[in-house]
Amino acid sequence: MSETLGLLVGVALTIVVVGAGAYLVGVIDAAIAQVVAGEALEWNRTLAAPVRGAAFLLLQERTTTERPDAPLWAIAPALLAGLAATALALVPLGPSGAVAEVEAGIVAFGALGALVMVAVYFHGWAPNSVLPLIGGYRFVALALSYEMPLALVLIAAALPAQSLRLSAIVASQAELWNVLRQPLGLPLYLIAGLGLAFRGPLAFPDAADLAGGTRAEASGAALLLWQTARSAMLVAVAAIGATVFLGGWLGPWLPGPAWLAVKTLVLLVPLVAADHLLARVRLERFVVIAWVVLIPLALVDVFLSGVLLL
Amino acid sequence: MAGAGTGVGVRRVLAGLAGRAPARVFVVAGRDARESVQGLRLDPRLEFVDSPRAAAILLVVGDLPEPLLAAGLALHDSMPRPRATVWWIPASGGPKRSDFPGALVVRAGEDVAAAISRTQAALLLGRRASEPDLLPDTDPAPWRGVGPYGQGGTGMTGGVPYGRPLAERAPDRDGLELDQLPVGVGPFFPPFPPGFVLEAKLQGDVIQAAALGENAFARTEPRGDTMAAVSGPFARALTQPVLITELELARARHHLAWLGHALRVQGLGALGRRAWRLASGISPVRAQEVRVFSRMLEATRSLGWATASVGVIDTALLAQMAPGPVTRAAGSARDAREEDPAYIALGFESVVQPDGDARARWRQRVDEALQSLQLAGQAGERLSTPVGKIESPRGTLTDAVSPAAELLDLVPALVTGMEWGDAMTTIVSLDLDLEEAAGRPVPAA
Amino acid sequence: MAAVGAALTVFLTGVGGWLLLRWVGDALSPARSTAPQRVPFTGGLPLEVHAWSRYHARYYAMALLFLAFDMEMVFMYPWAVVFVREGVTALVEMLMFIIILVLGILYAWRERALAWA
Repeated sequence: MSETLGLLVGVALTIVVVGAGAYLVGVIDAAIAQVVAGEALEWNRTLAAPVRGAAFLLLQERTTTERPDAPLWAIAPALLAGLAATALALVPLGPSGAVAEVEAGIVAFGALGALVMVAVYFHGWAPNSVLPLIGGYRFVALALSYEMPLALVLIAAALPAQSLRLSAIVASQAELWNVLRQPLGLPLYLIAGLGLAFRGPLAFPDAADLAGGTRAEASGAALLLWQTARSAMLVAVAAIGATVFLGGWLGPWLPGPAWLAVKTLVLLVPLVAADHLLARVRLERFVVIAWVVLIPLALVDVFLSGVLLL
Repeated sequence: MAGAGTGVGVRRVLAGLAGRAPARVFVVAGRDARESVQGLRLDPRLEFVDSPRAAAILLVVGDLPEPLLAAGLALHDSMPRPRATVWWIPASGGPKRSDFPGALVVRAGEDVAAAISRTQAALLLGRRASEPDLLPDTDPAPWRGVGPYGQGGTGMTGGVPYGRPLAERAPDRDGLELDQLPVGVGPFFPPFPPGFVLEAKLQGDVIQAAALGENAFARTEPRGDTMAAVSGPFARALTQPVLITELELARARHHLAWLGHALRVQGLGALGRRAWRLASGISPVRAQEVRVFSRMLEATRSLGWATASVGVIDTALLAQMAPGPVTRAAGSARDAREEDPAYIALGFESVVQPDGDARARWRQRVDEALQSLQLAGQAGERLSTPVGKIESPRGTLTDAVSPAAELLDLVPALVTGMEWGDAMTTIVSLDLDLEEAAGRPVPAA
Repeated sequence: MAAVGAALTVFLTGVGGWLLLRWVGDALSPARSTAPQRVPFTGGLPLEVHAWSRYHARYYAMALLFLAFDMEMVFMYPWAVVFVREGVTALVEMLMFIIILVLGILYAWRERALAWA
């Protein structure tokens, strides 16, 4: 009975974190945009912006297109949100573990990352419109390229832990965080993470040169849900990154979840800032860079981490 | 009953919140509208969106020539409800009110941003009714039943029979024969200048063939007058002396405004706003800010990642073109200002870039903007000398040659074979303008 | 097993919550779809054909390369767990395996299999 109750609390907590995280991303995004644009930061407007925008979209009609694939269109944002929530549930909050304390945590995260491809592709395919369609296919090329570096840097982090469990990876960082022990790991992870949340220089499927790409035909609640799911995915990327590279919940004085929140924020800010500061790469160039530079570097990361353990 | 009451309450709370959000605007810009829209870009009450699906307000600016009007009506109807049209007439003259019935008409001198903002709030609060469709509710491609080969029955097109044809196959350079989509993009596709229509044949994300749609501005009103559509003081300077300061500040403003647009298409809207802010407050004393901004662009890789070695123009073509930022970005030093004694007295020397790609064109415009600010600071009361040609921001303008038209003609050959994103980068890097191009001289019969 | 159940519960709650929100949005602002509203957006022009097509995904060669690496990944997960116990043997074995695969990448790169535009 108490187990069921614990599960329910955990699930509710995860959903709250998803919502709060999406709001937080909206606030950070609005604040950074104002700073980059050289405007005075108006906190009242910045704090209210995500809520007002959400209210606006809920009052807007959800349009459709000629002969869309309606079920896929409905499921795409929900799938992305479900994957983001699940990734957040994998994150250990303290010594007692995560909401979903999965034995092979990093394998589970890799699997979620692969399913993001399905969600984004559905979102591009479903409206039966050219611009979203190109966006959807672009994401497949992007995903096939970032998937390997992402999995490899997580494997490198699993080596000292001798386990694929995220809690064990946190415990293995008690003396030295992975960001220092495996200096290649975090930068590669953040690049791949930007791909996973398709933002900033890797915002190929939802790019401005496609007038919004996969979301070009989305309006009203459908647009709101897609944008929040995308933000939640970014929060999940930051939280997993904080767990694997910044020691997760470990830290003195503060309780574990507080440390986790602080470290997640530390990664979230640069990830959001990338949206406003780094130009989108050419897709073809990114594919080549991913295969010829990022994957070999990730392999170097794995083997250097291995050599250090011998 | 209670459920309905709750629904109304929830709606009211949401409307209260949403009514204070920036108005989401999709712009349909007609004749003589460019400068006016530019002036609205920085208004915090407005948010310009890239797709009509995300907008609540259709902002029609100026007068729409016939083919653009048809597109404007189609875009109006594709917007989600609640929606409204604001028709802004920045110049004198009245709109044909019947084109957008129910539109709120805003005339020169009125605060258009406030009107837009008020209209959206009224829509959300239910004080203003959402506009109905302007086009008839008839299916453009009605069901024609299952075809002779079973097409339209079940399968990958969704299983619901529908009258619109599927794409035909076409050969490709890698030997695969897959579907080729004929797509007309424009005339109000945000990365493009208003009125620009690209008739592309897409296979995957590669443009296999491209042609330009007819220039709507030329079709309805052949001017035969190169100058009429050139913005700023440049047309005037062709025939009479103009303050060099005025010319050079207008050039710097033009290039920075272009930069803002180009940054937006690269997904850097906030940096784009910064460029627009620099453009709107342009003055020789602010050259340092522009210089800092230019360094920032290099540091953030805004120049480089997406633009390097994209859109290189054939040198033979370049040699035939009127000089301008695009030819100078490919290493040709020609510049009409070199022949003006007033500029020679200022020690003018044209700046060039060697590479000739989209990145070089970005850098060229930033450098020319900086150079213009320097010239404007030095020129004092000096006047330009009318020598029969003038260096406009798009290139050397004479009675017979419109650089805008020449740039437009480059597009089809240039984007053929390009990936979609590269094609957009290339088109943006040319700084096209349909209205100015429409002023091309009528060839002698 | 309980953990997987928890993960699944979170996943289904997330998916269900998003579908519920979509339903709420539809209830708050009912759609009245009309033919001119359904026309897909390409800038205001009418369409000639369906967007759905046999799309030329030009990165198919890269996708095949990915398959090879995805299989390698399956071997690497258990390898990571036993690495410290097995020591140098594990390192050398995996190194040999990976070098062969990396040579594959270099070959594909030289053949321009990663570029398409």
